[in-house]
Amino acid sequence: MHYNREEAEVILNADGSKPIYVQISEWIETEIMNGHLESDQKVYSQYQLAEMYTINPATAAKGLNLLVDENILYKKRGLGMFVSQMAKEMIVNKRKSQTLKRLVQELVLEAHRLQISEAELMEMIKAEQSEVGNE
Amino acid sequence: MMSLTSANMNVVVKRQYLFKLKANIDAFSSLIGIQVIALLFSLGGMGMSGSSSSYFTLTVRSYSADVVLAFTMIWGLVTAITITTRPYRNFDFTFVTNRLTSNLSNVLFLVTASLLGGVTSILSGYLVRVAGYFFLGHTLYSSEMAVGELIIGIIAASLYILTASSIGYLFGTLAQVSKAFIIVIPALLIGFLFLDISFNPMPIQQEIYQFYFIESSFILFLIKILLTTAILFGTSSILFNRMGVRQ
Amino acid sequence: MKVIECTGLTKTYLRKPVLNNLTFSIEENTITGLIGRNGAGKTTLLKILAGFIQETSGKVRVFDDGPFNSLFVSANSIFVDDQMIFPPALQLQEILEVAGSFYPNWDMKLAKGLAKYFDFDPKNYHNRLSKGKTSTFNSIIGLAARCPLTILDEPTTGMDEAVRKDFYRALLKDYLAHPRTIMISSHHLNEIEDLLEDVLLIKDGKKHLHLPISELKEWAIGIKGPTEKVLELTNGEELIYENRIGAGTMYAVVKNNFATLEIEKAGLERTPVRASDLCVYLTNDSRGGIDDVFNQC
Repeated sequence: MHYNREEAEVILNADGSKPIYVQISEWIETEIMNGHLESDQKVYSQYQLAEMYTINPATAAKGLNLLVDENILYKKRGLGMFVSQMAKEMIVNKRKSQTLKRLVQELVLEAHRLQISEAELMEMIKAEQSEVGNE
Repeated sequence: MMSLTSANMNVVVKRQYLFKLKANIDAFSSLIGIQVIALLFSLGGMGMSGSSSSYFTLTVRSYSADVVLAFTMIWGLVTAITITTRPYRNFDFTFVTNRLTSNLSNVLFLVTASLLGGVTSILSGYLVRVAGYFFLGHTLYSSEMAVGELIIGIIAASLYILTASSIGYLFGTLAQVSKAFIIVIPALLIGFLFLDISFNPMPIQQEIYQFYFIESSFILFLIKILLTTAILFGTSSILFNRMGVRQ
Repeated sequence: MKVIECTGLTKTYLRKPVLNNLTFSIEENTITGLIGRNGAGKTTLLKILAGFIQETSGKVRVFDDGPFNSLFVSANSIFVDDQMIFPPALQLQEILEVAGSFYPNWDMKLAKGLAKYFDFDPKNYHNRLSKGKTSTFNSIIGLAARCPLTILDEPTTGMDEAVRKDFYRALLKDYLAHPRTIMISSHHLNEIEDLLEDVLLIKDGKKHLHLPISELKEWAIGIKGPTEKVLELTNGEELIYENRIGAGTMYAVVKNNFATLEIEKAGLERTPVRASDLCVYLTNDSRGGIDDVFNQC
């Protein structure tokens, strides 16, 4: 397995306040999302991850186990961990239900603080969406 | 899992001993320096007797290695004190040791140093005579010495040096227990000797001298010295055994 | 298996307790960070574990043996700090050779490789090294010895940042290849936290916390917002740290007993607390830190 250490460091340092094991699991999710890790492909071991990110292997294991608990990865005894068949869908669903929901929550709260009306907020969302769509 | 090493005391003592020979190489170079100085003192002759008549003057100088031995004993004492000081103890505890192996390897080192000191002191006795013959133009009447006698001489000299170093080792260890001993022990010693000489018809020091130095049986002498050094080293070891290091 | 077990460990100097009734144990093949302020007793604890000094009372077991005066513990452990001294007569390469003769797992290739990488002249002498170089050299010995218990007391003292980074990476790589139990003390928790599995936090010679680093990071949260709202929400909770910003804003650190929603509903901001900050807060004597001094003036 090849990886770029410089790249790895950038990813980890992006959000220093998030626990590293969460960052690890999110990084693996992203690897699955962008197709670097396919279904039934073996993922990095805790030791490889530890080496890549200069982190304790126990921390790396915690990140992996988080994904096993969510059935995004599955364990094969003695062989390691593999990407589940439905991994991509599960990640999409999770990010929809969790990340997106959280972001919307924050958005609405901030709008409330700034006393922005619902219509105004919807207007802003639509404008942003058309901009992304045009790219 | 990393397998644990079972610690063998003999092996550790041996390694510590070899480590000390390397680490204290300076002690041996200072030995050479001290003996050269002692030789220069000796060249004047140890004992001198002369008779003269109106026709001629006769001077008999007897050369011996006594001054060299005395200097070497002081060297042994100082070397022993040195290795009890904190930095030297800490060298041991940088690597594998406990207090017993540290002491045992120190004793082995001092035995080696004493042997070396003994050999060089006795041989330097010959050097003095030869130097006197060549450089000062004295006629040499050397007492023949058999190899056996030479060896006994070397062993005896080494034992004296070892005794000196065992005294130094105890003194050094006591100084580590409390700095006060650095002043208290010499003060007590000098005070005691002074009073002893002043008031005692048969001073202790003279008895000590007779006990150790005027001993005609070599075996008895050997036993006396070995017992004495063993007691001194043993006491030091017990004292050091409860002490902290690298603090 | 437990490599270190301390029960009621106490050490007093001149009747003043330095370690006060410490009870903890360290699992095999873990990297534990020993964190505490200056004078908290970190070095004393590590030196007791190494067998250098003797406990006043309580029980200490290292590899199931009392470490003080134990040849077994000495043979299986190494204590590295910047005070480590070597005979001045020995060159650096000779020191490596001597070290190799004492430790059965010694890796001379690693030692020489690291010495070369960090630009040491093999013919140089240890007492001529600068402060940072001394620490680097001592750490090389600590790594290459591969002792089942490796104790590193402030190993990076004086090292520049690049060397510290390199050292931490070397430590982790060698640990991955040859797992062992490592105790590392440092003032810079933020630098070493990624390496650690567990954190042992001591304050005034007492154990304050001993838990996995990942739990430590979620152990507390920061809440920021209008002062009265923060106080209302955190009512009854112990404030680990508080800082009043401006007229009506307050930042408080509390144990993580609150749901995110609960905080946001109250119109407050929830922030994670960095492990290193938390340790500073926990070991402060006052809740407001240095500001308390000025507030009382």
